[in-house]
Amino acid sequence: MGRYFAIRIGRAALTIVLVVTFAFVVLRLSGDPALMILGPEAPPEVLAAFRKAWGLDDPIWFQYLDYFGAIAKGELGRSMRDGRPAIELVLERIPATLALTLPAFAFKVALGVPAGIYAALHRGSGIDRAVMMMAVAGFTVPSFVLALLLVLVFAVQLGWLPSGGQDSWRHAILPIATLSLGGAAVLARFTRSAMLEVLGQPYIRTASAKGVPWRKVVTSHALPNAAIPTVTILGFMVGTLIAGAVVVESVFSWPGVGRLLVVAVANRDLAVVQCILLLVAMTMVTSNLIVDFLYGFLDPRLRAKGAHA
Amino acid sequence: MSAPLVEVCAISRSYAMRSGMFGRAAAVHAVDGVSLTIAKGETLGLVGESGSGKSTTGRVVLGLELPDRGEVRFDGQPMAAPGTPAWRAQRARMQMIFQDPLGALDRRLPVAAQIREPLDIHGIGTPADRDERVRELLRAVELTPAHGARYPGALSGGQRQRIVLARALATKPHFLVCDEPVSALDVSIQAQVVNLLCDLQAQLSLTLLFISHDLRVVRQISNVVAVMYLGRIVEIGSADDLFARPEHPYTQALVSASPAPGRRSAGRIVLAGDPPNPAARPQGCAFHPRCPRAIARCKGEVPALADVGGNRQVACHLVTGAETRDAA
Amino acid sequence: MTDATLKDTAIRRRISLPAIPVSVALAVSWIVAMLVIATFAETIAPYGFTQLDLRNRLAAPGNAAHWLGTDELGRDVLSRLLVSIRISLLIAFGATAISAVVGTTLGFLAAHFRGAVEQFVLMLTDFQASMPFLIMALAVLAFFGNSLPLLIGLMGLFGWERYARIARGLAISANAQGYAAAVRQLGATPPRIYLRHILPNIASTLIVSTTLVFPEVILMESGLSFLGLGVQPPMTSLGNMVGYGREYLTRAPWIMLAPATTIVITTLAVSVIGDWLRDRLDPTLQ
Repeated sequence: MGRYFAIRIGRAALTIVLVVTFAFVVLRLSGDPALMILGPEAPPEVLAAFRKAWGLDDPIWFQYLDYFGAIAKGELGRSMRDGRPAIELVLERIPATLALTLPAFAFKVALGVPAGIYAALHRGSGIDRAVMMMAVAGFTVPSFVLALLLVLVFAVQLGWLPSGGQDSWRHAILPIATLSLGGAAVLARFTRSAMLEVLGQPYIRTASAKGVPWRKVVTSHALPNAAIPTVTILGFMVGTLIAGAVVVESVFSWPGVGRLLVVAVANRDLAVVQCILLLVAMTMVTSNLIVDFLYGFLDPRLRAKGAHA
Repeated sequence: MSAPLVEVCAISRSYAMRSGMFGRAAAVHAVDGVSLTIAKGETLGLVGESGSGKSTTGRVVLGLELPDRGEVRFDGQPMAAPGTPAWRAQRARMQMIFQDPLGALDRRLPVAAQIREPLDIHGIGTPADRDERVRELLRAVELTPAHGARYPGALSGGQRQRIVLARALATKPHFLVCDEPVSALDVSIQAQVVNLLCDLQAQLSLTLLFISHDLRVVRQISNVVAVMYLGRIVEIGSADDLFARPEHPYTQALVSASPAPGRRSAGRIVLAGDPPNPAARPQGCAFHPRCPRAIARCKGEVPALADVGGNRQVACHLVTGAETRDAA
Repeated sequence: MTDATLKDTAIRRRISLPAIPVSVALAVSWIVAMLVIATFAETIAPYGFTQLDLRNRLAAPGNAAHWLGTDELGRDVLSRLLVSIRISLLIAFGATAISAVVGTTLGFLAAHFRGAVEQFVLMLTDFQASMPFLIMALAVLAFFGNSLPLLIGLMGLFGWERYARIARGLAISANAQGYAAAVRQLGATPPRIYLRHILPNIASTLIVSTTLVFPEVILMESGLSFLGLGVQPPMTSLGNMVGYGREYLTRAPWIMLAPATTIVITTLAVSVIGDWLRDRLDPTLQ
């Protein structure tokens, strides 16, 4: 168990190192970092001070290590648009993004997992077929198309909901729906196949053959085993959710981190982009670690094996 | 007896085996101090149960794997390291016949292209020569050029093994290692393939290392037979003599278990105990837990392979012990 | 196919042709139509894709001059759609080809050298799988600006980790036993073993993976272009059309619906073909 988590934590640290390396390499390849971070209008003395502060005249290995040091201290440069520290700009946008992604994640799980379990237990029924069709749609309809269709129907045609902005909770309904629907369908399909796989195992047949009531077979044998692969896919879905937030915030003019990223990329505001990249990496690493811990907790084989090591 | 083509000097090979994903690695001694010599044009039969290390011995002798200790010399020269250009060039002179001919052939190429492949690899002859050589090889293994256009999936097991044989012979090698070449085939087909192998050996004066668990086949083709048990040779001698008068208790059990015409099965020696497991090698003589004649000394002391006269060597305290003890 | 004779295979092929499900036949027809359109886009298009017709702005679909209507500058939506299909497919094919070659090569290198090389490749695949690709792509576009070759190259970094994992796994098992080991002991060089023997043998599995990666590349490219960060005007692509059409969602939804429908049907068609191929070619792949 200890060894298992040590490997996972090591791997998480490695991912962060790789992202920082990626940012460093891309930053160096794209030109003079001082100009890139501070912008072409920066006064020469500021550029010189920046070069000195960041050690841009040092050998590349020093610079690489310094870069880690600066990031550890939270020195991520300033936005070239308004000169404020990039990290401040990003941090103040986080609540808006969480206001969309957290409910969306909850809805996704609340819709997708029960639908998948139900479909697996009633294989071949109308609901099963509907879930499968929704899952195909969830994969093939991109989120920006889904968002526009929802706007077309609920804002333009029916006039029930606003099509953009962040003034009231009603503004959040369509973005959250966009983020959760597609993912819920994919999650339902995955839960369904995990559940079907477990239900086909000999121990399920054994349990029901020796007279355990079906409800108990499902709750105490099938569900815990199907939970293991489902938890893995949930971690993966955090990534899709972040990517989805970028698109959805843009469509609905929602002032979150995703929209900030799109604007920053369009303006080549590199300090902000770099800051968001690191934030996403941290989020992914954390969510993957949580999944790994849950996984270790859910899978008794891992616990037992870990005990020997 | 002519000069040795292959000399195997005290080779050992062990593998790290993990138990489970997080288990500690344990060394499994697949081959432990095996020495052999094979004279030019002769056939050495290597027999033993599965797990006896005979296949690993074959792979090390052919140079496909490096031994951990010991050395293999081919025609007086040491083997090149696997994967090097020198090693690749050496492949033209020694070849392998596999147990599973379908697995050894590429299912997505016509078999003629596969017979031709060693010629392409080693750049032997012009393209026209190579096609002619392929037809010649197909005839040599008693197939027609029409068979060459087929895919492995469209041939029978015996035909596939003939294709593997033709491919192995393409570069006119001196030495063949045959690892259970007929055990995947029907009994009627086995005899045909073994006869073909005997004929080709005589025509091409090939040297063979013939690995099998089937004593009848080994007896038919071999000049010298070595018996392996858990990574070591327990008895070695000329084929007819060894089968007629096995000395080691394990060889005796093997010979008695092999059906022979005109002999009743009443005298069969049935071995007790677990089949050999290379991961848990018993102390002393590895065979002692199953040996019907084991004595106290067998548990503590590993018997060395010793000459007992008549070109025979045996590793057993009961056979050699008395004499060596007396001499000491 | 293992033990069948050639004749058997030929017969089975002949029988299997009419057995193609309707959905697969439709999907194949759609993809063929898309390929024809992509090849002859300029020729088929009734108007130039940038040709303005200011008197006919935001014309509704169904009129004789503009079947799919016109956009805010009076440009013919059908002509723009045809050219967009060409650009989007060009990017998707180019990117899928790059990621297949890169991934398979890295997988083979990992399988051949093992040890440190293998660990490095595995580390990269883990990294690639754990970061959302859209975010990485946006970062690269921010740093390097934008151009069509860069976009194709960038999209080519998408999905390579799947090929790498598959190629590594299958090459390791082929090396451990069977035909690859047999050819190796014939004295074949590694390129010969991997390209002439292993690659054709694992091609069907790789092709099935391609049908999984291809629709995702289309979605990724259209997403970036929708955000205004992918294909740049005056060039047009499916996502780019949806993105600009969104401004006229209320007055002229057809501008956005035509390319959106094309994206959805194309990804659906490739997935349908992929599912069918997977069942036929490779039942072991999830």
